[in-house]
Amino acid sequence: MRTYLCLPPALLMLACTGELATGEPPLPTGNASAGTENTFDHPDSNIDVWELLDRMKAEGPPRYAARMHGCAKLKYDTLGRLLASRGVDLAATGALSAGKLYRDGDQALGAPNFGARQRESRELTTATASKMFDIFVQAAPEIIAAMPSLPACQVAGQGATMFNADNQCTPDGIACLLGVPATPSHLELCNLAVTRASDVEKGKRIAVASLLAAANTCE
Amino acid sequence: MIGKERTMRSVRVFLALGLAGAACGGSSATPDDTGDDVPADEWDRRLTERVVDYNAALRTAALRLTGDLPTLAEIKAVADAGDAAAQKVVYESLLRSYLEGPRFAGQMLRFWRDTMRLGESATMDTAPRFAAQLAVENRSYAELLTATTGTCPTYDAAAGTFTAGNCDNGLASAAGVLSNPAVMAQFSSNMAFRRVRWVQETFACTAFPTELTGAQPEGAPAFLSPWPMDSIAGTANGGTVDFHDQSAVICANCHTTMNHLAPLFAYFDDAGQLQSTIQVKTPLPGNPLALRSDWLPGAEPTAWRFGRQTPDLASLGVAMAADPAIAECAVARLWNWALGRGDIVDTLATVPTEVITAQVAAFTANGMKLKDAIFAVYASDDFVRF
Repeated sequence: MRTYLCLPPALLMLACTGELATGEPPLPTGNASAGTENTFDHPDSNIDVWELLDRMKAEGPPRYAARMHGCAKLKYDTLGRLLASRGVDLAATGALSAGKLYRDGDQALGAPNFGARQRESRELTTATASKMFDIFVQAAPEIIAAMPSLPACQVAGQGATMFNADNQCTPDGIACLLGVPATPSHLELCNLAVTRASDVEKGKRIAVASLLAAANTCE
Repeated sequence: MIGKERTMRSVRVFLALGLAGAACGGSSATPDDTGDDVPADEWDRRLTERVVDYNAALRTAALRLTGDLPTLAEIKAVADAGDAAAQKVVYESLLRSYLEGPRFAGQMLRFWRDTMRLGESATMDTAPRFAAQLAVENRSYAELLTATTGTCPTYDAAAGTFTAGNCDNGLASAAGVLSNPAVMAQFSSNMAFRRVRWVQETFACTAFPTELTGAQPEGAPAFLSPWPMDSIAGTANGGTVDFHDQSAVICANCHTTMNHLAPLFAYFDDAGQLQSTIQVKTPLPGNPLALRSDWLPGAEPTAWRFGRQTPDLASLGVAMAADPAIAECAVARLWNWALGRGDIVDTLATVPTEVITAQVAAFTANGMKLKDAIFAVYASDDFVRF
């Protein structure tokens, strides 16, 4: 008996919209399937069972996955506040400024569309990741310049700097940028990005943008 | 009630769970009969491999609860605190400061907008605002379903404070957000079914069908609802839509529950204003207004669930607030939000009961206070392990 309901939900939804096997007898008058004489459509919002299967293969069963941190996309509003608190002018009007890219990028960044009853996407798509990296690259010079005076990057009135006088990345600068203490790997990769670039300023920009992109893959 | 909904949830993902379980090397917790503390399977082992990381937890908590990264001073306070016990003290102190700060109100508002799928305008924000107010002021989640006044507050974003206000949509007495004008407008549809679905999925965390007995005689159609088929309307007992139809699927598996709820939401017009007559239409040629007999035959009463009659929205709110499934859903939503998981209904990011047993028990025993529940989730062992 339960077998019937064990059919994938997608299949059941197909039945609800009257798209099951052709060649069957005409549906009786008054049935609940959609047709030209009625609008009995049921919302096709059931999750694809095969997609779910793939996800569970990767994430593990619910009793495990529910206890692990997921990798949700950084929310649109949160990204804005993060950039602003790290020195980015979100009101900037320059065509390639980080602020304008952020303001104009709400759709690519997966912002919600409540008018269409859609919550914010929590998946990091390729489009979202690309847009975020564009923003981080443009934001990097602003962040580097602003960091010493940012309240969020000060301890006892002393502001952190992203790079020292020798153009080396600083642990405090990385910690303030990422929101976690800098590890030796952070420092090594940051310094490599600076030294391997065609010039120091480009290297600093790449270093900051790369660290931001990596750290903000997940909220 | 929880048992039935759990059963349904399991049924809906039956194939995927089974197949994934096999693929993952174990479909369910294997009893550990070795008599020692060796994890039962690969997934249990992975759980034990997690390590406590209060700095990572702080970053995630700050992003969720304040919408921003922790400050350098906060990062250093945790990192330099000393051993794990000392770090825990500092971490939990910062958690409390986040929950008491003005930014938490904005984060709660955004969380409830996302949960309720509406907001971002003065009128459409009223329901998320009320939910956010309950959290910020550490009030009972039950008020979200039962409050009779103050359900459309105003919000001062700079201060992170709310001021009580009543919804102006024709009700003498509200029923939490169940009578909210923005909700009624946003989820307006034929026969009020979109409003019913919103209530079910938002507060019970499962999609329809949600009531199953699983006790049908062999050979009978797969009608698994506890309600009699003729407790809802069909063309054979006075309705214009045949909810008894079984030609494609068993409509009544969902509609026995839905039809007992929908008339309660049918008197709100497309703008969310309560009227004296039914305002929703039927999906039939000409879109005639629905009649009560289109959902339920004769004097069949409205109800939250089988055996839980609710003659009006106020009693519906009370019945829902008393349903353990609603409390569990609230905690599960907070849990998924904290751990960065998808929507519990849209993405089937289910939270097994055993994972949040302690939080649900504390939530219920503590009068369903939201802020306390949020703290408990963010301070939980699972949240601080990576």
